[in-house]
Amino acid sequence: MGQGSGRQERSKNQDLATSDTMQAEENVQSDNGETRETKTRDERLRLVFGMADLKNKAIGLYNIGQTCCLNSLLQVFLMNTHFTGILRRITVPPSASQKSRSVPYQMLLLLEKMQSGKQKAVCPKALAYCLSLHRVKLFVQYDAVQLLLTLWNLIKGQLTNPELIEKLCDLYTIWVQEYMVCQECSFETKRNSNMITLPLSMLDSSCHLLKTLEECLQCFFCPEELTGQNMCFCEHCGKKTPFTQSMKLAHLPQTVILHLKRFCFRKSASTHKLCHYLSFPQDLDFNAVLTEEQCQTDASEKASWQYELFAVVAHSGSADCGHYCAYIRSITECKWYCFDDSEVCQVLWDDVKCTYGHSEFHWGQTAYLLVYMKKDLQEPYPGLSENLRKLSPSF
Amino acid sequence: MAQWQELQGLDAASLERLHQLYSGAALPMEARQCLAAWIEDQNWDWGAAFEESPETLANAVANLLQEEQRILRQAHAAAQREPAAAPSTPPQSDRHQEIQRRLAEFQAALQDADRTFRHLEDAQEMFDFCYKVHYHPGEARPNDPEYVKQLQSLQAKLQKLDRSRKDMLAQMQQLLGRSETLRDFVQQELGGWRERQRGACLGAPVDTGLQQLQGWFTALGEGLFQLLQLLRALGELRLKVTYEGDPLQTEPPLLETRLRELLTYLLQSAFVVELQPCMPACSKRPLVLRTASKFSVRARLLVRLHERSHPMEVKIHIDRDPPKIRGFRRFNILTFNSKTLAVGDSPQDGLVCDFQHLTLKEQKASGSGKGSKGLGEGPLAVTEELHIITFTLAYAYRGLELELETSTLPVVIISNNNQLSSAWASVLWFNMLSADPKNQLFFAAPPPAPWPRLAEVLSWQFESAAERGLAREHLHMLARKLFGSKPSPESTLAWHKFSKDGASGFSFWAWLDGILGLLQEHLKQLWKEGLILGFVSRKQEEKLLRGKRTGTFLIRFSESVLGGVTFSWVEHPESGPPTFQAVEPYTATELAALALPDIIHDYQLLVEENIPENPLRFLYPDRDRDEAFGPHYSQRQAGSLTGKKEYLNQRLIRVSSRRVNEELAAATQDLETLRLQPWEPAALQAVPCSPGTPGPARPEPPLQVGTGVPELLPPAPGAAEPALVLQLVPKGQEHVPVAPDSLWMLQVLPESLEPLQPPPGLQGLQQVAPGDQVTLKLEPGPVEPQLVLQPLSEGQGTLQVAPGGLGTLQPALGGLGTQHVAPGDQGTSQPGSGALEPPLNLQLLPGEQRPLQVAPGELELLAAEELDLQKLLEALEPADRALDALEPAELEPAELEPAELEPGLLGRLGPGAACECREPRAGRAAAAAPPGADRPRPAGSAALLGRRDPFLPQAEAPLPVVSSLFAEAGDFPPLHIDPQDFQ
Repeated sequence: MGQGSGRQERSKNQDLATSDTMQAEENVQSDNGETRETKTRDERLRLVFGMADLKNKAIGLYNIGQTCCLNSLLQVFLMNTHFTGILRRITVPPSASQKSRSVPYQMLLLLEKMQSGKQKAVCPKALAYCLSLHRVKLFVQYDAVQLLLTLWNLIKGQLTNPELIEKLCDLYTIWVQEYMVCQECSFETKRNSNMITLPLSMLDSSCHLLKTLEECLQCFFCPEELTGQNMCFCEHCGKKTPFTQSMKLAHLPQTVILHLKRFCFRKSASTHKLCHYLSFPQDLDFNAVLTEEQCQTDASEKASWQYELFAVVAHSGSADCGHYCAYIRSITECKWYCFDDSEVCQVLWDDVKCTYGHSEFHWGQTAYLLVYMKKDLQEPYPGLSENLRKLSPSF
Repeated sequence: MAQWQELQGLDAASLERLHQLYSGAALPMEARQCLAAWIEDQNWDWGAAFEESPETLANAVANLLQEEQRILRQAHAAAQREPAAAPSTPPQSDRHQEIQRRLAEFQAALQDADRTFRHLEDAQEMFDFCYKVHYHPGEARPNDPEYVKQLQSLQAKLQKLDRSRKDMLAQMQQLLGRSETLRDFVQQELGGWRERQRGACLGAPVDTGLQQLQGWFTALGEGLFQLLQLLRALGELRLKVTYEGDPLQTEPPLLETRLRELLTYLLQSAFVVELQPCMPACSKRPLVLRTASKFSVRARLLVRLHERSHPMEVKIHIDRDPPKIRGFRRFNILTFNSKTLAVGDSPQDGLVCDFQHLTLKEQKASGSGKGSKGLGEGPLAVTEELHIITFTLAYAYRGLELELETSTLPVVIISNNNQLSSAWASVLWFNMLSADPKNQLFFAAPPPAPWPRLAEVLSWQFESAAERGLAREHLHMLARKLFGSKPSPESTLAWHKFSKDGASGFSFWAWLDGILGLLQEHLKQLWKEGLILGFVSRKQEEKLLRGKRTGTFLIRFSESVLGGVTFSWVEHPESGPPTFQAVEPYTATELAALALPDIIHDYQLLVEENIPENPLRFLYPDRDRDEAFGPHYSQRQAGSLTGKKEYLNQRLIRVSSRRVNEELAAATQDLETLRLQPWEPAALQAVPCSPGTPGPARPEPPLQVGTGVPELLPPAPGAAEPALVLQLVPKGQEHVPVAPDSLWMLQVLPESLEPLQPPPGLQGLQQVAPGDQVTLKLEPGPVEPQLVLQPLSEGQGTLQVAPGGLGTLQPALGGLGTQHVAPGDQGTSQPGSGALEPPLNLQLLPGEQRPLQVAPGELELLAAEELDLQKLLEALEPADRALDALEPAELEPAELEPAELEPGLLGRLGPGAACECREPRAGRAAAAAPPGADRPRPAGSAALLGRRDPFLPQAEAPLPVVSSLFAEAGDFPPLHIDPQDFQ
């Protein structure tokens, strides 16, 4: 650790301390960057939640060696105020060694470092070190989905408060019901399963290129015939029979992560990237996309299936080597940012649309993970309006 | 420096914040001001590495700069939210502004990256130096605290260097990401331009300028090349210092691949065909090429970057990848096949390659005897065969070498001009409907055209031909014509219905193209000013005219004649429903001789009382005729006759007789055509009898060529030249029954003329009454024919009466061009029905009332056909000279023999013969013809017929046949009286 960064570390810790004491108003005054109108609103909010929850600045993360994938995912987590709301409530591990091993704690530290500093980017070194203790190697290229699941499992596994674990699961878990129907005796087996991501194929069953996210979703929830080699053993028939496999959507969480399977395995062992065009909407209504049969839920659940795009993790390059960056729409500012490691810049929807893909660009950016956020049609900060009203009737 | 300057330009509120920022800051604002450029150029994040420099200051300055940037950003964001208050800039589309903004951002970010790179270079040099000075791996001094400290410092420097490298790479990643959006935007604009170009080829009034696109493409290309250079320089840094996990080892190759892909795509799409192939002769109809005719085409590279030392060559190919269909013609491009991409010196000049004077030559079908010889064996017609011209460019710039390729829109290759119209139809259909601009087999299964799209394209045709598109009403009429009574927006038209089938013997497109040709050639101005209603169905026409005043007329295009225009007017008789009249359509042939405004102005309709009137008084809806058309009337007075002027000005007018299927065109303009035209059958409502229908046979129907009515044509004020009008007026007849095959011969004799001796053996020769009348005698016949008078040159004068009521009166010219028909004010010939021997009064009224003199060699002949095919001939002789009748075959004036009239042939005026023709009944004026060839022509007294006149038939040519007169009256093929027949 060099001198310079050491110094920075120190100053970060000081900042962290201030924010811990939640001297919000002082901070507001010293914060020149806020415009007046947001200031007044933010002041009120801070009174309730503390400044940290609302600080949602777009700060870059230094690449510390092939960590563009990690950085992109961290941004997706840390820009999500629903997630940081959970993170801020974690119990601080008692010992120093436990602290350095705790992924949630290190993420929290990183978040504080990002939100309280004034530099354009911070270095996620401690977190990377922490992850390496959990067999997440550094200086290795990762697949974003794989790393996302690893990260999520680590966070969930290291949370100690069951309430927070439940909140975390609520935030990310998609519930589906899998149906297997024997085509000969109509014997039906039903299984509930949970998913963190919906892995969507870019090709339909006959290998035609799909053009829109909606098509991918429809295709995902389309019943599939399992015949020939894919036949399953039927308990009733006592033999392998053709089955119909179908999936029904039962519940959607606050944050829905969709995974576009842009990699296909060819006959040879090498993977190959699908870079063709696939559009995705800013606003996604699952009710409009899925049919009645593809859902297994009640009306009140379905009424809440209105989503808007929150983040896109984009990949450029080939299947073997490439680069990740993340486009995230700040929840507090409602503006799109592009997080390219230490480089952060505000962008427009047009830039995000550039990740739709283009069959002639094999090295350009293509969306790989799509994160949709449930629309809060009634209240911008769920559950908070009650407190706010108490605070100020005019709000 | 830039940042500070920009800050100074902000609004008061932002400046206030700036002052707050510096109040009490470690860096005085004055210092910031003075050292602006230097401060901004330093890498303050590196301040800590300068161990001697106070780190607090470095940090403070770094923070200050960052805060400044934040103020700037916010001010910019605020400025963007508010619509730009500066209206001085021309309104551009949002997308254009967005592109400009992004380009500026991109360039700024590039500069930023360049600066970062220089800092990185400095940092690397410093590390390199320290490393070489302080690091001594040979001498292990782990206990020397000084050495350990130095190593630690070295380690820190390396950490910093590593972070900077990664930072730099992240910056470039970000730059590339943004340039992809920019590339996308520019690409979309180019797509828009391509669409516009396709439209413009079809005549759409759109801007197809490339200046703006070239600016964007060049700026983006330049930026990307700069980025490529930066990336290479970055790669070179690694050669000097590298370490384990060096990001410069893994990242730049990936970045470069991505960048090259982006550049390649950008350059590829920047190579465009700026001017589609076009023959200069028909510049409004590009994409139709004729073999052996010159054409030009221009390719352009919108990324205007090239190295002058490295000329780049463009090659041209045709049908590089021909469709594999039988009989597909193959061509060679002649003259030259490659050219250098050149650029002018001015920045406006594009990087273009102009191919001119190219020609196409069809390849001989290869000798392998398929038996078919490849002629007309293909499944596609010649005009449906699409060919594509391709350009390839060997591009090389800053080490990037590419082969770029671009193609024209498909062209149709014809070998004959008469295929032009249908070739253009193919071009229209393709560019209107083909989604794939390279689909050469489009016409294997041409899709139908949705009516709204077709309507738009058809309107462009009119806009491009005559500068005014089709109005909604026009399109309604066309839609009704195509789809029946109920046109709907969903209607579609099949290709063959557009270009091939047609109930009237010609396709819809041929009809429309005929109108386009007519408009372009003769009616452009009228159409442009909206004087031509044009597309009005007969039904609609009545609806429009019904409620209008008598004499209200409208001009519309004929639906039955290719390239015909007509006018219809309404009359409200004292009792009964209004009647609608329409004149038989004029085609280019007639309009070439007489412009439509003049026809309208001079149009005469003869009523029973013999007082001709112009029925056209108000242009629909209620515009005064002369007010509407006044500016378009041709000049009546050509000024005083000068010595140079050989002939007097003359004028051609059109006359119709009321309720009679005929129209007489009298040519005073050189007196060459006098025509009787049948009404367009459908146009005549009052007359049930179509022109070709023979009426009830009347014994000896008289044709009276009556005296002209001078008031008919009031001479234009100040006109020195009197005009001549010939009118044939059937008297008291409901309709003119026309007897096919009837032959008439007219003798027109001037007052003092000796009686013309009928040639012996000729039955039915009419006497020419000597005296002060020119008498036209008619052979007994059941019906009256219509006459066409035509001038003949070179002594060949024939009155040709076509069967079915067309006759030609041809004043013949002497072989030497010396004979002159002196134009009187008017000459009127009126066929008088009911009169047994209708006199022909040729009234030649010179201003000076001088006697009409017909020069030697001059000849007038009226020939008519009778039902029984008897042939008569009468010659008009000058009064005071001997009548010379000549052998028909003898056209040379030298051979003229006097006073011999060959049967069935010609009446001629012998050489030196003069004709004095007085109109006794009118008596008001006398016509004076200039004296014979040997005499000087009196200036100002007469209109002269020159043999150089373009309207005069050539000497030995067959008689001119005005095809249009006969074309639609299909039953009556034109009949010539061949002089040879009568010998």
